[in-house]
Amino acid sequence: MTEAVRTRGLFKRFGQQVAVSGIDLVVPRGSFTGLVGPNGAGKTTTLSMITGLLRPDGGLIEIDGHNVWADPVSVKSRIGVLPEGLRLFERLSGRELLLYNGQLRGIPLDEVGRRADELLRVMDLVDAQDKLVVDYSTGMRKKIGLAAALLHNPSVLFLDEPFEGVDPVSANTLTEVLRRFTASGSTVVFSSHVMDLVERLCDWVSVMDRGRIVAQGPLDDVRGERTLNEAFLDLVGARGNGDEGLSWLGSATA
Amino acid sequence: MTQSIDMTTATGAEAMGTRATVALFVRLKLRLIRGNLRGDLAKQLGFVFSCLAAGVVAVLGFVLFAVLRLAPADIARDVGIVVFTVVAIGWIFVPLMAFGLDETLDPARLTLFPLTTRQLVAGMFAASAAGPWPIASLVMLSGGVVALASGPGGVLIGLPAVLLQFAFCLVVSRAVTTALSGALRSRRGRDLLTVGVVFFIVLTQIPGLIINRGLPGDPRELLAATAGVLRWSPPGLAAHAIADGGLAGVAEIVVLAVVVAVLAWLWIVALRRALVTPDSSYQGGAVRRSRMGSFLPGGMLGAVVAKELKYARREPRGRMNWLVAVVVSAILMFSLRGRLDADGPALVIGPIALAALMMGMQAANSFGIDGRSLWMNAVAFATVRDVRTDLAGRHLAYAIVALPLLAVLSVFAAVTGGDPWLAVAATATGWGVMGVALGVGAMVSVLLPYTFPERLNAFSGAAPGQGGQAFAATFAAMTGTAVLVLPVVVPVMFGLSVWAVVAVPYGLAVAWGGRRLAALIGYRRIPDILAAVSRPT
Repeated sequence: MTEAVRTRGLFKRFGQQVAVSGIDLVVPRGSFTGLVGPNGAGKTTTLSMITGLLRPDGGLIEIDGHNVWADPVSVKSRIGVLPEGLRLFERLSGRELLLYNGQLRGIPLDEVGRRADELLRVMDLVDAQDKLVVDYSTGMRKKIGLAAALLHNPSVLFLDEPFEGVDPVSANTLTEVLRRFTASGSTVVFSSHVMDLVERLCDWVSVMDRGRIVAQGPLDDVRGERTLNEAFLDLVGARGNGDEGLSWLGSATA
Repeated sequence: MTQSIDMTTATGAEAMGTRATVALFVRLKLRLIRGNLRGDLAKQLGFVFSCLAAGVVAVLGFVLFAVLRLAPADIARDVGIVVFTVVAIGWIFVPLMAFGLDETLDPARLTLFPLTTRQLVAGMFAASAAGPWPIASLVMLSGGVVALASGPGGVLIGLPAVLLQFAFCLVVSRAVTTALSGALRSRRGRDLLTVGVVFFIVLTQIPGLIINRGLPGDPRELLAATAGVLRWSPPGLAAHAIADGGLAGVAEIVVLAVVVAVLAWLWIVALRRALVTPDSSYQGGAVRRSRMGSFLPGGMLGAVVAKELKYARREPRGRMNWLVAVVVSAILMFSLRGRLDADGPALVIGPIALAALMMGMQAANSFGIDGRSLWMNAVAFATVRDVRTDLAGRHLAYAIVALPLLAVLSVFAAVTGGDPWLAVAATATGWGVMGVALGVGAMVSVLLPYTFPERLNAFSGAAPGQGGQAFAATFAAMTGTAVLVLPVVVPVMFGLSVWAVVAVPYGLAVAWGGRRLAALIGYRRIPDILAAVSRPT
């Protein structure tokens, strides 16, 4: 049993649109996994189903060997989630958000307070801890979201576009924390379409395109001799190279 | 998205005439309505429900208005004037407060298109006119022609008068919402609107209060006096013009047309300002760390209660709900007082039961206030018990605010009603009703959840396309509670004060049962509830 996450035939459709068409996702335990793909590839849908936020239409999901939809008790205590967007309780302060989250997870209040203080310090949010989340910047929101996801010490962490819209300083903090987290043997799965970042951080990559997994494996196997970006464009098929059409575009007007 | 392509292809401002703009915007509005309904049965049902309601209002309004023809001409005219004015006032305020009756385009979304302000106004105007409710009011208003026209002249003047009155309603409504839209984006603006809405509710009650205090003369004279004043308002001019049917009528609709044009110009100014004024960002100060935690139970229950109480205080929608509940019940108490034929206990118990019902209605969409952040609860809830604890925490938070409020209101009602001892029975009844409302609300929350807009939207009280669902949820919660409280409220209202002893245990039992059942259902529906309350607004 070396897989942190495994899906079999995971399937989801919205009306006529098949969002995820029977994928077998594999994430080895202790890996830093990048789930990459163009917009609309089904990354967010996949992560939502794996974390129990969206009901799949078919297939099986196991986290550490526990079925997500049949055995939520074992699963929910093991996973930490930072979903797409910046959906947080806006009218709580950063610190209150962490305390609320910890208490929901059944951690005693003094323990939650201790962990929250440490997380706030590491995330460089001490000055902002008593401000309402509604007034946080994007980077601060991602950081407080990550802190909330880490609070109960999950064994698998799912992050949907954690670096989108984050300034370099906050991004650096986020990566440092995540590196430390995986170094201890825990697993991180994050979605992104920033290939450089995935190449720098990840040791395992799953490439999705139009609801399918088109490549999956250790980073070096997937990219081969190329950069990950070149490999990715080959895999998803670079669509249109800008040669045909658009003859009117540009300053050379007729 | 196809709409935006339509628009960008017409790049030059001159490329599109007014008629084309109007057609484009009406198509856009219809397509938005259709797009919102696609693939969602609940919303389709909600929309059908909303259309049916609009149809009923249209037909009933038209018929009732037309029947006025049977009344003496001067009374018909005066009533017509009052009705036209009330419809116009409704058009100003209802879109500001009511749920999804008017799903119109937000001008801010059109900022980047190369549209002249004139095109934008024509388009927005057309889009506002398209939809079940605008058409319902047009049909209802045209009943005025039947009611008031006394000859061919009246009919000839009546048609443009009704159209102008309709245009007046639309333009006034748009002008007000646009002018406020900037303010509504800031937190301070929303708080101001909160006060404004409550103020408006108080305002609408003043005539009732005056009447109940004893009429100055007979109703006819009052009607004549009111109409005599309102007759000079734009809607009054329209109604009077139809009744007049002569040269004076023509002059009146000319004046009305000028007023509509001026308002449209004001609207253009407001729109131009709104489009270039950025969202006022608010540099928030720190909040105090509360000591509340030490009084609350620990763990999940305490966390939920603390969060709910903070939301009731910090979230404008939360604050407004409580304020409205208190103000409305105070008004009810006063306005019922003047009635001579009703007897003692009912005058005290009735308003308290209604106040409890109104406060309890907040529980009918418990998860809505969390909105998109509900995922945080969803990833933590592993068992039915967790969902039940969450609901219990929310109920406890409501109770912490509502029970003392109800007690104070009861004492107030009983003392002013002349029987201080009735305060005990009234408090117990109010608490019982609150319990029932919470139990029913828990069920409605899991069965018919809907999204509250993030900002107090000028255009809608529910997310686009969910107006019908919001209406159905409120309706279900109201009826459910009203039916279930009958056995405890009715005997007390008819003087059997001792029966109030039953109210609290009964309320507790219903709340407990509702929570239990709702948790069972809600646990299975977590992904659906999450989707329903986190729609984009």
